[in-house]
Amino acid sequence: MVFFKYSLQDPKLHLPQAGYEAKVKKMDSQLNQYLPVLMLLLVTSGFAVSTLIISVAAGKLGRRTKTKDIPYECGMLPEGEGNSRMSVKFYLVALLFVLFDIEVVFMYPWAVTYKKLLETDATLALGGMLSFMFILLVGYVYALKKRAFDWKS
Amino acid sequence: MNYSLIIVEITAVLIGLGVLMTDLWISPAARKGLGYAAAVAVGCLLAFATGSLAPQHGLGFRDSFVVDDLARFFKAFFLFGAIVVILMTVEFSSRIASGLSEFFALVIFALVGMLFAASANDLVLLFVSLELITVTFYILTSFQRNRLASLEAGVKYLILGAVASAFMVFGIALIFGSANSTNFRVIAAHQTELATSPVFLLGLLLVLAGLGFKIAAFPFQAWAPDVYQGSPAPATAFLAVGSKAAGFVLLIRLLTQAVPQITAEWSRLLVVMSAATIIYGSLCAIPQRNLKRLMGYSSIANAGYLLLGIVAMSRSGSTAILFYLGGYFFTVLAAFTAMSALAEHIETDEIAGLAGLGRRSPFLAATLTLSLVSLAGIPPMVGFFGKVLLLRSVFESAPGRPDLYLLLGIAVIGVVISLYYYFGVIRSIYWGGSTPNLAPIRTSLGTKVALGTCIAGMVFLGIAPNGYLRIAETAIGGIDSAAGRLKSPALKKVSAHEAH
Repeated sequence: MVFFKYSLQDPKLHLPQAGYEAKVKKMDSQLNQYLPVLMLLLVTSGFAVSTLIISVAAGKLGRRTKTKDIPYECGMLPEGEGNSRMSVKFYLVALLFVLFDIEVVFMYPWAVTYKKLLETDATLALGGMLSFMFILLVGYVYALKKRAFDWKS
Repeated sequence: MNYSLIIVEITAVLIGLGVLMTDLWISPAARKGLGYAAAVAVGCLLAFATGSLAPQHGLGFRDSFVVDDLARFFKAFFLFGAIVVILMTVEFSSRIASGLSEFFALVIFALVGMLFAASANDLVLLFVSLELITVTFYILTSFQRNRLASLEAGVKYLILGAVASAFMVFGIALIFGSANSTNFRVIAAHQTELATSPVFLLGLLLVLAGLGFKIAAFPFQAWAPDVYQGSPAPATAFLAVGSKAAGFVLLIRLLTQAVPQITAEWSRLLVVMSAATIIYGSLCAIPQRNLKRLMGYSSIANAGYLLLGIVAMSRSGSTAILFYLGGYFFTVLAAFTAMSALAEHIETDEIAGLAGLGRRSPFLAATLTLSLVSLAGIPPMVGFFGKVLLLRSVFESAPGRPDLYLLLGIAVIGVVISLYYYFGVIRSIYWGGSTPNLAPIRTSLGTKVALGTCIAGMVFLGIAPNGYLRIAETAIGGIDSAAGRLKSPALKKVSAHEAH
């Protein structure tokens, strides 16, 4: 049934063969470590489902008043609509913040490992970051021209 | 590192950014012209990518990026699709309230994701390219933001897409944990050991689920009808053609190239998936009253037929997938271009709304009819030949495998059912009863050219399939030999390093 095959003459592909099977086996035994996680998952979902069932089964249906049905808000009376609308400006600010925050998040580890990167592939080290920043710059010009930074408009 | 390998992708990114920037300095009236310019630019890129100047074979970026015949076939496919979708958007522009240029740019960014997907040889690149496609489609599907249906489509696609991505990235993590690599070549070299590892198999299953979402295969198909119905027609067309084809090129790479042994062992699973997808798509399409929704279910059924080529696990199966996708390309684009041309004149998407179309616009009526006939698989249209190839490839692998004979039977039943619902639409077009409005519908020259090309493609590939079939065979033939022929600098560096 096997008809597509990579060439196995490749030197790279043969080398990790030694001890590979043992590594695979080890990973499988490591999976057993996750058994507590599975148990926790079962306990938590069981708890959530059973409390829902118990509250329906044990709660007395029919004794409902309007006051009882309002959502609990730390003892305060809820005000206004549940889905009130917000100005789109706030979303724009959040979006732009994420955009430029991510830029910095990428740049820190890059700056830390920059000297090491230069030894392996200098073009990729600088060119990769420059192309990333170029794309972000386009985004910045776009936001600027679309007046995303202009709070009053 | 050989940067010239990704020159097509880099150019596509620059075209997309260029469209986005140009829009800032031109008047709103010139935006249609920008669309034509973008289409021309992508057309030049298509000419370059299919020409001899483009990288022909190569492996780079630590073996994560491969250029071979299969990759080049799909790159041409996606570029061509993007051109048609951009032209379709220009026609559709009156219904896009704001952000027309952004629509063009997003189509091109999705195209970049597809171009990378065609060359992905590593699970990380697979994931990143798929995410680029999916995230752009979240926006494209909800682009008509003052239409409730479009917003609904976007939200549904977002939520289900996020779940599918989570599955996939979790699967990739498990595969990396057990295989110590995300590269397809390394996984292929070690698949005998890996096939015994439950962690690896679980990871592969999760990745398969993520890809199943992209191609809308059962049981990950729930999003398709709603998204197809609500999205703007050009976005739906690109979703049906581009996104599905990207899913299939990755399936071909992963299942038949990286883990063929495990795929052979999982044959039963794929048979069930294919059969269930065909049955679900066909049966659910019957009661549909909305044309775009019907196309959504039809797309599910077609994913099932395409999976036949994977189930066959043979060269002819993969060739049949490529051939079918080519035919599906023309057919679906013709149908959606006709629908978006109609959208201005017929308020509703309902099938009953097509009544009288045969008299109002014989050309659009004929286009829609021909594409539905092709989807139903009636000769001499391309859909017939594609289905025959897919069924034949399964038939060739079938001896000694009763489940494959059963699958063949189901596929044929699916085709018969599809005749019923496709012809329901055709009946509505020509014999739909009386309509109050009999004003003739005019179509613009651009639409006529696009539709003419699609019809010519459908008929030509159906009557004279040999040339295209040979291209598809070359693309599949290159899949196994390319890796052996390649000697990438990265590989040499590694081997030299290890020799010390």
